[in-house]
Amino acid sequence: MKAKLVHDQVSRGTANPAHENHDVISHAPFRSPKNHSNGSVILSAHQIYKAYQAGSQQVPVLTGVSLQVRQGQFTTIVGQSGSGKSTLLHLLGTLDRPDKGEIVMNKQRIDNLPARQRDRIRNQDIGLIFQFYHLLPELNVLENTLVPYMIHYGVWNYLLQRRRLHDRAKELLEQVGLSHRLTHRPNQLSGGERQRTAIARALITQPKLLLADEPTGNLDARSGNEVLELLRQLSEHQALTVIMVTHDERIAQQSDQIIRLRDGKVVASTAEAA
Amino acid sequence: MFKLLLTWRYLKTRFIALASIISVTLGVATLIVVNSVMSGFSNEMTSKLHGILSDVELVASGMGEIDRVDEKVAQIKSLLQDDLEAVTTVVRVPAMLNFLVHGQPRYHQIMLIGIDDQTFGDVTDFRPYLTNHFHRNGDVFRLMELGYDKELPDAGWPYRREKFRHDAYIRQELESMLQDRAKGLPPIAQNQLPVPHSPSATTDSNQEPLVNIAKLPPLPTQKPVLPTLSSDVPAGAGSEYLSDGGPSLNPSESNTWNPAPVDALAAYRERVLVAPFDPITEQRVGIIIGIGIGRLRAHDPTTGTSQNMYFIRPGDDIELTIPSAGSQPRPLLENCTVVDFYSSKMHDYDSAFAFMPLSHLQKMRGMIDPATGGATVSAIQIKLKPDANLNSARDRLRAAFPMMQYPLMVQTWRDQQAPLLSAVEMEITILNILLFMIIAVAGFGILATFFMIVVEKTKDIGILKSLGAPSSGVMSIFLGYGLSLGIVGAGAGTLIGVMFVVYINEIAALISMISGREVFDPSIYFFSSIPTLLDPMMVVAVAGGAMLIAILSSVLPALRAARLAPVEALRYE
Repeated sequence: MKAKLVHDQVSRGTANPAHENHDVISHAPFRSPKNHSNGSVILSAHQIYKAYQAGSQQVPVLTGVSLQVRQGQFTTIVGQSGSGKSTLLHLLGTLDRPDKGEIVMNKQRIDNLPARQRDRIRNQDIGLIFQFYHLLPELNVLENTLVPYMIHYGVWNYLLQRRRLHDRAKELLEQVGLSHRLTHRPNQLSGGERQRTAIARALITQPKLLLADEPTGNLDARSGNEVLELLRQLSEHQALTVIMVTHDERIAQQSDQIIRLRDGKVVASTAEAA
Repeated sequence: MFKLLLTWRYLKTRFIALASIISVTLGVATLIVVNSVMSGFSNEMTSKLHGILSDVELVASGMGEIDRVDEKVAQIKSLLQDDLEAVTTVVRVPAMLNFLVHGQPRYHQIMLIGIDDQTFGDVTDFRPYLTNHFHRNGDVFRLMELGYDKELPDAGWPYRREKFRHDAYIRQELESMLQDRAKGLPPIAQNQLPVPHSPSATTDSNQEPLVNIAKLPPLPTQKPVLPTLSSDVPAGAGSEYLSDGGPSLNPSESNTWNPAPVDALAAYRERVLVAPFDPITEQRVGIIIGIGIGRLRAHDPTTGTSQNMYFIRPGDDIELTIPSAGSQPRPLLENCTVVDFYSSKMHDYDSAFAFMPLSHLQKMRGMIDPATGGATVSAIQIKLKPDANLNSARDRLRAAFPMMQYPLMVQTWRDQQAPLLSAVEMEITILNILLFMIIAVAGFGILATFFMIVVEKTKDIGILKSLGAPSSGVMSIFLGYGLSLGIVGAGAGTLIGVMFVVYINEIAALISMISGREVFDPSIYFFSSIPTLLDPMMVVAVAGGAMLIAILSSVLPALRAARLAPVEALRYE
């Protein structure tokens, strides 16, 4: 099953050869930090400013945040609540536009693209996971997983490749351990199962980048660990670049790069130090 | 693809959508039914009007008359040639008709129409409206032995013979009574007087037995010797006055007959005892009267049924008062025998029209053109071939008979009925506007429902956007939702509406069976069943309009959904 996932990545030509054929059975500690400075920069942000309008007042959230994320790196963004970490993640994920500054993905500036292209990037190149899973309640697990494909393809194209896309979704759901839940609705699932469905959905279009906004924040310790384990495997064996917002210092310590935010500014970045 | 799937899922899981669908369904069904029935009614009515009126009419302006009729008819024939189907001439004159009901005279203002019974039926739908089916293709002004409507059990010659035999018997009794009185015999006690028991007193629901002819004394073999007449009494004028009776609501009432005082009896005799011809074997000049003149329709609100009471029936004689022709008309009196009823079921015509032979009317009124010595008419009626153009025929005739030279007006039946036709048209238009508002109400229901759904689905919209769904895609979910509601609602409404129209008479029968009240009383309306006209274009327009309203009312909520910023939407909990 893991081999299959790896194979997928290889076929896309993005796999890191260093991780090929590596069998993954590793539990706590969650991950040993690695230096990925040799990977190319997949995402970078330069002097990002973002303020929200609260009534008549401008509330600054991010005041000049810069960061770099390299291919295959596991990056965590930590900080107090209100420090702007979720906002930063949303900006990186093209869900919102910065007031000032640039976000560059694969040497292309993405923050000022027209809405249509940003939609496309979000659909194809970025996977998003949220604390509250954000599954569509009317759709079952399989359908939820397929939503990015449904968005990408028109009716006719989708129906033509229906078999192939379904197989891919089922495969992915098997990898996250949900093959017995395909026709369940989100409200029939546990939190961990929901989050794993969300991960499958985020990965179905084989994005280069996975953005996770406190994916374990709403889960019990065991489910949280399962989800983290899954993300770790994905990062390690498929060279998936993961950026995760968390306030769990333990998790952060095991990541390749930690970006610490305080009052809208980066106070420390381990990767830069390394 | 996600749009279709989500639209479908939202439809399946929101019961509130059902409410919107039902309101659209009801609106569409109502609109279709009302439209079909309204246009059915107006269609039937106009075709009936068209049938009663001629296609084109040359009518004398004012009370003037048309002279040189044959010349003009020949001119019309050569002018219209192939477009012409038939031509007839008529005389129309307002007249008064009177007869006795319960001994009381009853007057009717009528439009007396002198018709040429050879050609009149070719120009208008005249014969089909006569109640005697022999009249539908024979000499219409002859009283018939048989063939009268079953509504009228006593009509025609059998009724006339019986009635006048009865009258003759009473006359004879009166005669002998007066003779006895002259001889100084004691006056006859009241209860010994013969009971005037006229068959005309019957109503169709309350049949009194006819006078048994066998019991009557034999008729006098020769006409009774009559006393001297006052010269101003018109010939035969009195015969119908003896029919007395008339319809009686209370059968016992007709049995208590108070004899008039003797002096009155003498005066009565003077009017009555004139029989210049034998009414038992002869008829006077025939007249066909509108059924509304001779009949009273009593509607019983408690049972919801109607009864007909006939004051007069074929075989009775009536008196007409007609103005003579010329600039200073004098009243002319004429006795006529009612030979049939005219029943077009158009109340205006049935209660106003009476028809008599054209030549007789012309002679009576002295409608002679002094210049040529030919008879004059008041209108020339023309029927065109079915495919002929009505207005162009009218315009050609107008050009041939300019108003500057001829005292003539050329009018089509539409011109004549323009006020009625445009009133009906306006009625339909206004009703349509009102009913479309029903659908608009359904539209606002959809609007409110959709706003609710958008608010409820704010998070889902955020999710879809975070997964890369474009705003247009999100919008089309809700537009598609509105369209689906429209299609389902309008489809079901069309189906129900069309089924209702097709089976409307069965439904009406069912409702009257359940409620015990007649929903559609054919005798009140012009038609035997509820007329409907299902115009496919109308159905398409109604269904399309409903769908449009459904979509329009989903535009605002859809726009709102599309404009939601994904971050805001995701934050929404």
